[in-house]
Amino acid sequence: MASDATCLDEGVRLADLMDDPYPIYRSLRRSRPVCWVPAAARYFVTRHADITYLERHPDIFSADETPSLMKRVMGHTMLRKDGAAHKRERAACEPTLRPGIIRSHWMPVFAKIVDDLIGSFIARGEAELFEDFAAPCASRALAALLGFANTHPKDLARWSQAMMDATGNYADDPEVWRRSEQATAGIDAALDDLIPHLTTNPDHSLVSGMIHAADPLTREEISANVKVIIGGGLNEPRDAILSGAVGLLQNPAQLEMVEADPALWRSVFEETIRWVAPIGMYPRQTIGAVELGGMMLPAGARLGVVVGSGCRDEAVFDDPDAFDIGREKKPHVAFGGGPHFCLGAWVARLQVGEIALPALFRRLRGLRLVDGDPPVWAGWVFRGPTRVPVRWTY
Amino acid sequence: MSEVLFLGPDGSETLLALAEGETVMRVATAHGVAGIIGECGGAAMCATCHVYVEGGVGGLPAVNDAENEMLDCTASPRRGTSRLSCQLRGGREPGRLVVRIPPTQV
Repeated sequence: MASDATCLDEGVRLADLMDDPYPIYRSLRRSRPVCWVPAAARYFVTRHADITYLERHPDIFSADETPSLMKRVMGHTMLRKDGAAHKRERAACEPTLRPGIIRSHWMPVFAKIVDDLIGSFIARGEAELFEDFAAPCASRALAALLGFANTHPKDLARWSQAMMDATGNYADDPEVWRRSEQATAGIDAALDDLIPHLTTNPDHSLVSGMIHAADPLTREEISANVKVIIGGGLNEPRDAILSGAVGLLQNPAQLEMVEADPALWRSVFEETIRWVAPIGMYPRQTIGAVELGGMMLPAGARLGVVVGSGCRDEAVFDDPDAFDIGREKKPHVAFGGGPHFCLGAWVARLQVGEIALPALFRRLRGLRLVDGDPPVWAGWVFRGPTRVPVRWTY
Repeated sequence: MSEVLFLGPDGSETLLALAEGETVMRVATAHGVAGIIGECGGAAMCATCHVYVEGGVGGLPAVNDAENEMLDCTASPRRGTSRLSCQLRGGREPGRLVVRIPPTQV
């Protein structure tokens, strides 16, 4: 299939995707919506309709990719399992992450983290939102949610980055493997301390939920799933906070609307992750030969499900590149779909959409971007601003 | 319950067979019934398969805690007749379930 010139896109370069993937996605959606991209060694699936179809047929499009760098780094996590095996592990985590408990127990915890952080820099009148706010906010919240009370949030952030680098280590760089092995050893050591304590002292944390579930997870399952949650659960809320802040700062009329009507924060959040989906691409693998988007895929085909593109599909969203909190409400695919629908969706909605973003704009009066020092964006598998210098009136 | 009638917000009506054990959400998404999304695939985690039950309510299971919590998160207002269609399944007894699709799910 990859030899068919009509579906082979050799023009796509990873450096261009890192810089700005959206013009490439637009062109792929129009002419080659399912096509083999040699640079990524995957078939890209770029249309909203094909992504939705694929997520509704997990029996054909498997999450259990082989071989998988994620499995090498973290063990076999629920993110790479299908069917009953996946459901069993997910069910152990769901009660901890339902909206009721997030609202009643975790919202005050998240609010305190956000207030403390803003309090630490508000007198300066300027900040760089990635380093000063979004990154520490996401790591502190995740440490609390997991139950990693004795872990420094900076260690959590370091572990997360080391594992994520390794899941993309196709170049086989030994230094990347070494850092990642150090990170996973650190997580396992923290779990060795934590599990005996939480076994006799259950609380609201995720690890406690895994231990005390109706069908409890094994030590090995807890370890793998905690690693995937640390790997993924940190950069996504971080990047959503930053993308949302930039979206509003670049669109002052919309900021005025939401300041006048706080109920619109919900729209701000959903539009933010539609505009720049924090996870831009995730893998699937075909179980048998199947047609998708007019393309015949062989059994075992490795797919890149490009939700970053599906969220900007002009067949669904008018003027898709614009940040517009007033746009017609349509289902985006930023949380994925089907059995693997983002487990942290409600944490993200409340932590980012109801706490972090509203607090940032409420407390930092006259918040604005810095002339001559604009936000810097990067990434396509994960995408978000990497630098957002701001000033306010204090 | 062996069949389900969907009443769309635009006045459309769609009648579909509901096999024993099959969920109303799944039958809707498999047949492309507009307005039922089912993002989470039936885990009661997303609240995008919300319906108002207008007939056949007698054969339905009670709302459990997870569904009750998620019904508080629906995009269209929750009413006394609100259910998540991923929690409603076809049964052995013949009968028709009638559900109204709300104006929006997101």
